[in-house]
Amino acid sequence: MISRRILMMTAGAFAFTPSLALAQDAPAPFDNPGDVTVALVRYLSTGDFFQSYLAGVEAQAAALGVNLRVFDSRQDAALQADMVDQAIALGVDGIIIQHGLTESMQDAAQRAVDAGIKVVAFDVNVENAAVPQIEQSDRDLARLALEQAITDNGEAFMAGYVYVPGIAPLDRRDETWREFKARYEGINEVSQFGTLDNPIANSVANQARAVFSANPGIEVVFAPYNEFAKGVMIAAQEAGVADNINIYSADISTADIAMMREPNSPWAATAATNPAVVGEVSVRALALLLAGEDPGEQVVVPPTLITRDMLNDGNITNMEELGEKIPAFLHADVALADWIALPSR
Amino acid sequence: MSVQTRLIDLAIRFGFLLLMAGLLVFFSISAPGFLSPHSAVFVFQSVAITGILALGVTATLVVGGFDLSIGAVATSALMLSAYVMVVWELSAGVAIALCLLMGAGVGLVNGLLIVKARVPDLLATLGMMFLLIGLQRIPTEGRSISTGMTLPDGTVARGTFSELFLMLGRHRIDFFIERLIPLSVIFLLVVALLVWVFLEFTRHGRLMYAIGSNAQAAQLAGVKVERYKIAAYMISGTLASFGGVLLAARLGRGDVASGTNLLLDAVAAALIGFAVLGAGKPNAFGTAIGALFVGVLLQGMTMMNAPYYTQDFIKGAVLVVALVFTFAFTARGSRGA
Amino acid sequence: MTQNALEIRNMNKAFGANSVLRGIDLDLPAGQITVLMGANGAGKSTLVKIMCGVQAADRGSMLLDGQAYAPDTPHAALRAGIVTVHQSINDGVVTDLDVASNLMLDRIAAGSGLFLRGAKLRAEAREIAKAVGLVATMTQPVALLSLADRQLVAIARALSHDPKILILDEPTSSLSDAEAQRLFTLLEGLRAKGVAILYISHRMSDIRRLADSILCMRDGVISGSFTQVPLDYSGAVRAMLGHEMTEVDITIPARGAPVLELSDLRLRAQSRPFDLTLHANEVVAVVGLVGSGKAQLANTLYGVARPVSGTMRLDGQSYTPKSPAQAIASKVFMAARDRRSNAVIPDFDIGRNFTLPFTRRHSGFADLISRKSEKTLAARMISEMGVKCQSHTDPILSLSGGNQQKVMVGRWMAEEARLLILDEPFQGVDIQARRDIGARIRAQSAGRATLVLVTELDEALEVADRIVVICEGSLKSDRPNREIDVASIMAEVADSPTEAVIERQGA
Repeated sequence: MISRRILMMTAGAFAFTPSLALAQDAPAPFDNPGDVTVALVRYLSTGDFFQSYLAGVEAQAAALGVNLRVFDSRQDAALQADMVDQAIALGVDGIIIQHGLTESMQDAAQRAVDAGIKVVAFDVNVENAAVPQIEQSDRDLARLALEQAITDNGEAFMAGYVYVPGIAPLDRRDETWREFKARYEGINEVSQFGTLDNPIANSVANQARAVFSANPGIEVVFAPYNEFAKGVMIAAQEAGVADNINIYSADISTADIAMMREPNSPWAATAATNPAVVGEVSVRALALLLAGEDPGEQVVVPPTLITRDMLNDGNITNMEELGEKIPAFLHADVALADWIALPSR
Repeated sequence: MSVQTRLIDLAIRFGFLLLMAGLLVFFSISAPGFLSPHSAVFVFQSVAITGILALGVTATLVVGGFDLSIGAVATSALMLSAYVMVVWELSAGVAIALCLLMGAGVGLVNGLLIVKARVPDLLATLGMMFLLIGLQRIPTEGRSISTGMTLPDGTVARGTFSELFLMLGRHRIDFFIERLIPLSVIFLLVVALLVWVFLEFTRHGRLMYAIGSNAQAAQLAGVKVERYKIAAYMISGTLASFGGVLLAARLGRGDVASGTNLLLDAVAAALIGFAVLGAGKPNAFGTAIGALFVGVLLQGMTMMNAPYYTQDFIKGAVLVVALVFTFAFTARGSRGA
Repeated sequence: MTQNALEIRNMNKAFGANSVLRGIDLDLPAGQITVLMGANGAGKSTLVKIMCGVQAADRGSMLLDGQAYAPDTPHAALRAGIVTVHQSINDGVVTDLDVASNLMLDRIAAGSGLFLRGAKLRAEAREIAKAVGLVATMTQPVALLSLADRQLVAIARALSHDPKILILDEPTSSLSDAEAQRLFTLLEGLRAKGVAILYISHRMSDIRRLADSILCMRDGVISGSFTQVPLDYSGAVRAMLGHEMTEVDITIPARGAPVLELSDLRLRAQSRPFDLTLHANEVVAVVGLVGSGKAQLANTLYGVARPVSGTMRLDGQSYTPKSPAQAIASKVFMAARDRRSNAVIPDFDIGRNFTLPFTRRHSGFADLISRKSEKTLAARMISEMGVKCQSHTDPILSLSGGNQQKVMVGRWMAEEARLLILDEPFQGVDIQARRDIGARIRAQSAGRATLVLVTELDEALEVADRIVVICEGSLKSDRPNREIDVASIMAEVADSPTEAVIERQGA
């Protein structure tokens, strides 16, 4: 199920210099962090994003010195609910629910809260005021990419748009796209296409090529998901129109970096959140909750804009280098406290 | 033969080709840009990979079997070729050879499961499909493979897709117009021709059809049924892995994917092929036409801005009509798929 | 004078041009066991299918207890009181369900109420099981029962309908002796209760034990009816197998060198070992009933089955084929019985059906098949075998049964064989086609050994130089085809002493 990769689209971070916090004056229970156990109950786990997210959770948990238990339901909603109950039975102090279905997680989260366990949820709405939501801002993501498109191409251009309705993050991005179209009347959307047929890039490439031959004047393609962008880029190269087109997208991976940096790449910019940062924020928000502090009902991890030029100027070839060269990508200035140690870089 | 039965006969034989001609005319009129050499090549290129997979599955259909693992074999080849070049930093030739070997090997295992272990074909290849979907993720812990990726052990992969390999999916040959025909289209045509000649004109193809029609009788006529069945799955696996190589060459990276849509599109093409020329049985020519038919439909409809779900709907409708053609109208309708 | 539970008058049924039942008249008296005998293809199963509502007759009438009876579905037959226990036991039971559910299946399927009441169901089922002497746990899955118990379940299920007429199709074919005895006792009990029983079997021991009367069927007609006690069992076998003096003159050719030598060959673990030598030039017919071991012999020679023990030699060399392909490589060919499932490639045209075993002969560079060579052979074989068709590209299924069979036999005549086996080559073909095929077999028999396996003596008399009788997996007699004593050979086929007239036991 590829749509999952979409759920994870990311946000960025603002420049931040890690402050060296000291743990010795940490509030209870973090005065003795070895006794604290937190559980990560996952719905989705396969793919680059989730690996990276897990790495972030692990790194932040290690920095805090707490024990981490990982439950992986592998896209089984019922199993995920059982796993929350298991975590309750194990007597963990806090639970991070990572994705899942509102229907199955709502009751499970309530049971955990009733058991006195602190819960935070990432990218799943459990409809519980006691459970802070960790979110990436899809609207910000789309906004950053589209603002760059306006900067690069002016306020009037012929556009293609890749969209598959019914996928929540894409729907939220679509709202921003509509706002932009309303604000800039010069944007002329001549074609909307998209598919989640697997492999997505291959299927989107087939569609995009038909679109390019039907609409030779397209200058900008808004493809707010990196698999879409990849497909559009393949089609643009195959159709020989790569030089005339700029692609704006969301999300980023090592492979995407390589494609954006190809000579004459039409992929101009993408907006992204570092999934590892989201993982770290999830743990920090839970830690705040455990210490009796309030992280807020919503903890939004902001996205970063990454352009082709930034990658070329910094000679960035993979995600690690992206983190090194663009510090904003490496850290999000949310859910912080003096007593929370940040993962070492 | 009365005029009426002759008309019905003509409709069965040429109905599908007429339908396709009608579609071409319709799209040419209503979708600007559809009628151009580039557009025609695009259609071929968009079906090149599923077409090659479909030709493989045709071989298994001919012996009365079925191969559900082709999609997973293709995506496994996609991952394998990327792994060989990016992680092991070996050459394109090694990558292609290993992929084809892998495909043939999977076909061999499928065949042995079906022939020796007597697992029903659908179940054996379904199991193989799941196995491969899982297996292709194990070496990278589910990550996609691309240059610069971090491996599970923390090292960074420095290999690249070689130019030669990428050419398979991207190079285009001059044909009246400069850089017109992609290599993948050439491969599709060559594979289609080879499979067609093999199935229709060699004695091996003949015996495979005999097995599909009545395996017991073929066995008693001295046909080495088990060997041909295994061979059919090996053809299917090899062609599927070749499709995966072309996919890797087009994408330029190793994407984790189940390949389910590749499987479904390939099977649809092969089944539509039953109806072409009123064959009423799996056949390579029909499969190629079936794949093109789907390609023309999707190309035309995308150019007319039809959303993806209407395309699935139309694809399904075409398949149903083709199956009705095959099973209700042709004389061989009594034969199972 | 007992009353007839069922009377059938002038029943006719044809499938296309093939007349299967031709004016059948049949009475089933209440309280009697009527045995129906008939070789394969005599029309027995069609008759049964019409009686139990699976097929409809073309013409004719049935009276059930004096009322007109024409079931249009099996269910209608069941309601009318005619129940059938089929030969294949698993047709009569659902192996995955437990005993109780099986016994009550028809009630469950008929569907009264939404839920099954387990306890009540099992209690009723227990009653039914008791009636047939079935000792089994009601909650046990049928798959775990022995064959005999499964059959009892099938019969018990049949009996739960209070049948007026019970039809059993070869019910003892998979039962042990003790199990069969239990079945006989049960049937005798039912007979005493006034049920009319139609018992289809070839087993003389069963027939002697049970039959009140015997009906023989042959080529779609009742060829013999035996109601006088003592019953004339040999006469019944003769009527079943039939014998019209054949017009075919057999000239036995000079016997050539031995081709196939079988020594101490044992086909089944319990059967007696036997020797058989087939010589060049001669046509040997093996005659035996269904289940006599005929098919096993053919399969063993053709590499489909292995002998239990003994040796086979072909032209003096040890011969142990492991597959038909190996047999063919040794130039042993076989035209298999039951052409529809074992020989015909339905998707192929006539020509391709002819060339199937020897495609290598017609292929050249890169194994490409030469259509010209194929066409030449097809044309030659069509004329040699006298296949009536428009062209060699006609679909095989467009031919009549006899012409299809000519193709299936002709397929193996295209190459020189050392041993040609023809297993039931005259099955389902009309008399003319049978003569044509027989003539071809004889005309080309020089140089090779030919083995023809048949059920009907007539066919053997028409085609063979030598006639061998097979029974219980072993050879019983071997005689040249001249001045044959038909009665004695019939008796051997039926495995009963000549002229023996045996009182029915326990009547």
